[in-house]
Amino acid sequence: MLILEDLPLSTPPTGAGAAETRSIATGPRPADRSAEHGRDAAWSEPALPRSSLARLLRPSWWRGIGGHVVLAVVGVLSAFPVYWMYATSVKPAQDVLDQSLVPTSFTFDNYSHVLATLPFGGMMLGTFVMAAAVAIGTVVTAVLASFALARWEFPSKRIIMLLIVCTWLVPAQATMLPNYVLISQLGLLETISAVVVPQVVSAVSVLMLFQHISAFPKELFDAATMDGRSAFNQLWTVLLPNLRPSIAAVAILAFISAWNEYFWPTMVMRQTDQLIQVGIRSFLTSEGNDWGALMAAAGLACLPVFALYLALQRQVVDAFVRSGLR
Amino acid sequence: MLVETAPGPATAAGPGPLLTKPPSGPPVAAKAPAGSRWWVRVRPYLYLLPAVAGLVLWVYRPLVQTVEWSFYDWNLLPTTPKRWVGLDNYSDIAALPEMRQAVVNTGWYVLGLLPFAVAIPMVIALLSRKVGGRARGFYQALVFVPMLVTPVATAAIWRWMMQPDGIINQALGTIGVDPGNWFRNSPTAIIAIILITGWQITGFAVLIFAAGLAGIDGEYDQAAALDGASRWRILRTITLPLLSPTVLFMTLMTVLLSAQWTFALLDLLTQGGPSGTTMNIYYLLYRFGFSSFDVGYASAASVAFFAAFGVLAAGMLTLMRRFSFYDN
Repeated sequence: MLILEDLPLSTPPTGAGAAETRSIATGPRPADRSAEHGRDAAWSEPALPRSSLARLLRPSWWRGIGGHVVLAVVGVLSAFPVYWMYATSVKPAQDVLDQSLVPTSFTFDNYSHVLATLPFGGMMLGTFVMAAAVAIGTVVTAVLASFALARWEFPSKRIIMLLIVCTWLVPAQATMLPNYVLISQLGLLETISAVVVPQVVSAVSVLMLFQHISAFPKELFDAATMDGRSAFNQLWTVLLPNLRPSIAAVAILAFISAWNEYFWPTMVMRQTDQLIQVGIRSFLTSEGNDWGALMAAAGLACLPVFALYLALQRQVVDAFVRSGLR
Repeated sequence: MLVETAPGPATAAGPGPLLTKPPSGPPVAAKAPAGSRWWVRVRPYLYLLPAVAGLVLWVYRPLVQTVEWSFYDWNLLPTTPKRWVGLDNYSDIAALPEMRQAVVNTGWYVLGLLPFAVAIPMVIALLSRKVGGRARGFYQALVFVPMLVTPVATAAIWRWMMQPDGIINQALGTIGVDPGNWFRNSPTAIIAIILITGWQITGFAVLIFAAGLAGIDGEYDQAAALDGASRWRILRTITLPLLSPTVLFMTLMTVLLSAQWTFALLDLLTQGGPSGTTMNIYYLLYRFGFSSFDVGYASAASVAFFAAFGVLAAGMLTLMRRFSFYDN
C-alpha cells in the first residue's frame, strides 16, 4: 500500500519490472484508491526522496517540496512568538536582553515571582469556571434551538432563523452600553456571572448544530415517533448520542472563545482579579519592563488553552474552521 | 397557514402527555387532537425560547436602546437625567476630526489586513495543495497556534519582540533598518498593529482556504488536464472561480471585523495613539462611552457604524450571489 500511494498515477517507466507491477496495482480501480486513502494517509504522504535521481528530476517532486517549504516557513513564523515567550520566561534576568535564540541557562525565578505577585490560582480557577459555564450554557441553548429548527416546521420559523443569523452582524461595541447598564442594574458588576450571562447564547453554535441535525436521516426520528417516544426523549436518546462530535466542537469553541474574550470581561470586571485577562492586563501596565516575569505570566495564561489544543488538536481546528472567524 | 403547518399524523400521536397510550386505533387518535395539537404548535417555541430570549435580551434589546440613547445627552450615571437633543449627537460626531481620523484609519486596517486574510493565505493554500498526511497535520497544528493565544499574551509577546532593543529591531538592524520605538511613532504604530493582527489571522485563513480547495471536485482539473489545458489555465479558469466564494467570504470578514480584531491590541498597546494614528472606529466609540462617559456620542457612533456596515454587508452579499460560481 505504501508504494502504491507514493507513486503518481502516470508513472514514467523508471525500472522495467517494478513499473509493471505498479501499473497493475494502481491501474484498474481509482475508486478503491480513495477508499484506501483514508486508512493509509498517515503512512503514505510525506514524500521523502527515495534515493532515485529520476524522482528528484521530476517537476512534481519539486512542487511537493515547494509546498513543504512554504508551509514550514509559515509554521515557523506562526509559532516563533509563542516559542519566544516561553524561551524568555525561563531565562535568568541577566540573560533576557541578550536575545539569544536558545536559552543558555534555565531558571523558574520568573514563574515563582509571578505566582507570588499575582493571585494566579484564583484567577485561573475563576476563568476556568467562567469559560466552562459559557460552554455548558452555549451547548444547552444551541442543542434545544437547533433541534426545534431542524426537526419541525412551524410558522415564523424563517423569521426566527433570520433573527439568529443577523446577530452575527451586531458588533459587541454597539450593544456595550445598554448591556453594561443592565448588568449593573442587576447588581452583577464585578462578578463572574456578569461575564457569563451575556455569552451563553451563541448564534454561530445554533447554526453549526442546525446544519448537522438537518443532515440527519429523518427516518430515525420518525421511527422513534412511531414508537411513541416524546420529542425530548428523542432528543436525548436519538440525537445526542449521534451528535456528540458536533457538540464537542461547539463546546470547545465556546470554551476557548470565552477564555480568550477580552472586550467584555475588561469592561464589567475592572477592579477585581478574578479573571486572567483582567489580572494580566494590570500586570502588563504595572510591571513595565520585567520581560521575564511578563512572559511567564502570559505563558501561564495561555497554558489551559494550549493543553486543550494538544489533547484535541483536530477537533479544535475543525471547530474554528467550521464556525468562521469571530 | 396554521392548518398547513399542523403536524402529520405520525407526529400528532407522539408527544408527552400520550406516552402511555394504549394500543392505538382510530378512537384514540380521534380523542388526542385537542390537547396534543396545541402542544405540538407550542413545542418548537419552547425549545427555542432559551436561545431566542438570550439573543433578544443581549443583542436586540440593547441595539434598540442604543438607537434610543443616540438622541439623548447622558453621562451613564443613573442619577443624572437624560436630556433629549434630537440629531445633535450625529451632527456633532460627524464634525469631530477624531471621528474622521478613526474612519480613515479603519480603512487602512482593512486594506492592510486584506493581504493577510485573503491574498497570502490563498497563495499558500494553493502552493501547498499537494502536501498531505502527517506532515500536513503538523503544519496545520503550527499555523493555527496564533489563533489560540489570549489577547493579553499576544500584546505582551509583541511588545517584548518590538522593543527598541528587542529581537525584531535587532534582526532589522543587521540589514540596516531601524524602526525605533514601534508603538510611539506615527507610521510604525499602525503598521505594527496590522502586522500583529496579520500574524493572528493568516494561519487560520490558510486553513479556511485549504478547506475551500478541498471542497473543489478534482474531476474538473483532471478533465481539463486531459483536454490539454496548462496548469496556469486550469488555475485561472477552474480553480480560482470555484474558490471565489471563499475569497468573497474572507473579504467580507475582513471588512466587517478588522476593527474588532484590532480592538484588544489597541487597548493594550497604543490606546489609539500616537496622536490618534492607530485609533479605529470601535475603539473610539468605546472611549466615548467609558472614558468621556458620553453615552449620546457613543450611541450615535454605534448606530452610524452599524448602519454603514449593514449596507456594506448587504452589498457584498449581493455581489457574492451574483458573481460567485458554485459547484453544483
